[in-house]
Amino acid sequence: MVHALNEIHRVLAPDGIMIDLRPLAGNWPMEVATSRDFLEAGRVSDSPTGLEDDRAANESMTKAGTQKWFIRQREEYFPFFYYWDSPNEMKEYVDEHWADFITIDETTWRNVRSQWAVANADARLRVRVKMLITRWKKI
Amino acid sequence: MTLQKDPERTETKYLHQYADFTGKRVLEIGCGDGRLTWLYAKSTHDMVGIDLNADDLRVATIERPADAPVSFVRADSVCIPFIKEKFDIAILAWSF
Repeated sequence: MVHALNEIHRVLAPDGIMIDLRPLAGNWPMEVATSRDFLEAGRVSDSPTGLEDDRAANESMTKAGTQKWFIRQREEYFPFFYYWDSPNEMKEYVDEHWADFITIDETTWRNVRSQWAVANADARLRVRVKMLITRWKKI
Repeated sequence: MTLQKDPERTETKYLHQYADFTGKRVLEIGCGDGRLTWLYAKSTHDMVGIDLNADDLRVATIERPADAPVSFVRADSVCIPFIKEKFDIAILAWSF
């Protein structure tokens, strides 16, 4: 990834801006959400792969700073929600797309299903993904 | 499946707080199927999205609005096929 940052530095004009936008591991909350409120039904578990990806990315960005390729100007976290209409749809997606990064144990799934079953008719399930956005300026 | 991603448009809000794309030359690394691209591309001078996944790039190309100054290239971020200092903004889009 350091090589990629070096390449980005090369193709950016003087004073160019690099935006680093990515999800971070963080045992994301699983929530039952209605039009009025939401209730946390459990949390996903970060996998070692996801944690290692974050560590490697953070290390590369730090190196881009110490190499004086970029200077960090601004950084924040924000939530990014994925919504599904039912636990089955959610599980199907998680199994297909997120199996490398998170796990969800059977007890948590049971809790999610039972909380969704007793919620209002408009209830949906969502995962609150932790996002990081950072603006770097080319030096 | 009725998956919805970020219906609150929080990502769009933050992206535009962090960069003014108006009239800028933008490179998006890891553009995938262009989901993020369409949040900002129309105001740019031109935008190039690169990704290694040919299937995703095909989707992005098909869904490209006719008036968007956008192109997609299959390329690796460790060897970006453009001359130096070509872009004003680079976005690392969920690509770590």
